[in-house]
Amino acid sequence: MSSILSIQSITKFYGPIRALHKVSFDVPPGAVFGVLGPNGSGKTTLLGIVMDVLKASEGSYFWFGERPSEKHRQQIGTLLETPNFYHYLSGERNLQIAAAIKGRGEGDIPRVLEMVKLADRKDSKFNTYSLGMKQRLAIASCLLGNPSVLVFDEPTNGLDPVGIAQIRQLIRDLSKEGKTIILASHLLDEVEKVCDHVAILQKGQLLMAGNVGEVLTNEDFIELGVEDGGMERLRAVLSGLSGIRQLKEQEGHLQLYLENGGISLAEVNRYCFQQGVVLNHLQLRKKSLESKFMELTK
Amino acid sequence: MLSLLKIEWMKVKNYRTFWILLAITVVSIPGINYMLYDLMDNSFPKSKGAQMILGSPFAFPDVWQTITWNSSLLFIIPALLVITLTTNEFTFKTHRQNVIDGWSRRQFIGVKLMEILLLAVFCTILVLLTVMGFGFIGNKLAENVSVWEHSRFIFFYFVQALSYLMIAFLLSMLIKRAGLSIGIFLIYMIVENVIVGILRNKYKVQGVNYMPEEVTDRLIPFPYARALLAKDVPLWEHLLPSFLIVALLYLLLYCFITGRRFIKSDL
Repeated sequence: MSSILSIQSITKFYGPIRALHKVSFDVPPGAVFGVLGPNGSGKTTLLGIVMDVLKASEGSYFWFGERPSEKHRQQIGTLLETPNFYHYLSGERNLQIAAAIKGRGEGDIPRVLEMVKLADRKDSKFNTYSLGMKQRLAIASCLLGNPSVLVFDEPTNGLDPVGIAQIRQLIRDLSKEGKTIILASHLLDEVEKVCDHVAILQKGQLLMAGNVGEVLTNEDFIELGVEDGGMERLRAVLSGLSGIRQLKEQEGHLQLYLENGGISLAEVNRYCFQQGVVLNHLQLRKKSLESKFMELTK
Repeated sequence: MLSLLKIEWMKVKNYRTFWILLAITVVSIPGINYMLYDLMDNSFPKSKGAQMILGSPFAFPDVWQTITWNSSLLFIIPALLVITLTTNEFTFKTHRQNVIDGWSRRQFIGVKLMEILLLAVFCTILVLLTVMGFGFIGNKLAENVSVWEHSRFIFFYFVQALSYLMIAFLLSMLIKRAGLSIGIFLIYMIVENVIVGILRNKYKVQGVNYMPEEVTDRLIPFPYARALLAKDVPLWEHLLPSFLIVALLYLLLYCFITGRRFIKSDL
């Protein structure tokens, strides 16, 4: 099996509005795959299509290398948009229904309730839960039967900082167990912290997809600083350095972007010193997903 | 299908509104019949002339027609149950969650249709028991009278119940909101009656007999004053197969529209 989920040229129209345009990417087994995009970029629409609650206008998708069916969805734990439960039933009874639909026994319910710390409120009706508790019940439902694939759409919505940290840790732990996780979020640091693969959507178009390292490749830069008044001299010196892609000034420092296989910090330092420029700041910086995202989506 | 029905049962068995509406159905079917029986008994002089016109509507064999007709006045109650259970799924977005968790769209719509069928069967059994109650307990069985004569009305009641519940289901699936669905269901019941009344009586348009609710209403004629309406019976017998066929076609149409809508559209 080459990929867990293969999305092929999916387009979706809501009347005249094009929500997705020929989106294609593959989710490899064992990946923590972030689907990233601002509000309204088409993340939830895309996940809705692969979970069969929305119909694609064009294109196709495959789960586990096969044509999608309800049997596949039973093997996937999914939290899409908001937690959807019967308001008049308790948390536990709602999970019993979910387990029955998934074709799994009820034996796993105490474990998942414990995992999301809802065991002591399992008998309370769903409509008495706080937003965070509802979200945790939805995550518990996803975990029923220990599925090998999980789909989370904004899983930390409504959670307090402790809850957010717990969910992130849970995602990391699940990833370590070899599970494939597809995570849609508009929270960039959330994706950056837990994902190893990413697809970036904007206005329904796929801007980029791949390994986080690949998406951010060549995005390392060196930040240099000199005493006041030396900035022009430094710029002139660095301009003579071979393999420079871009040089820009940012908040009193010069940022030096290099071509592939660029030079090391020590070489830059030695070169500047030999040219009579003494640096007071020299640091290798990685471009954050946030700045990459802002650059792509501006 | 049994496993799907078990899951539907899990959804409703702890739902208070379900039990309340079911209890009202159980009480109201014999209740309205007793009320009308009591009204008949006390309101009309027991003269021989009155007896000739009215007949014995609560005795075998006419009791089949009387009870089924009376009970058909109460379709709004099980229809409320259908609307509530269906629109709940949309309100809570659990129709999406059921599909996400692993039901196919066909399974979702299939089990809902099965639920409606079971509710129609349940109402029919209640009516059957009420017929038996009035026929055997309320009245002494006259000699040379067959208990099962006219029992076909219980089948007509079933068709009528199924039809009304399917209209309620269709509205719920299309409108998705409980209040609006109930409102339109009630308004439609009234509006159709008015249209039928005007077009048939004033303009002599017989085609209105085949409107969605009227066609099933035609299956069970007005049961009182049978002697006065006896002249209409041969025509009714003649048209009965067409009423049944059109009612069946409507049922198939309701299934087709709801099924296609749920299977093809975004949830």
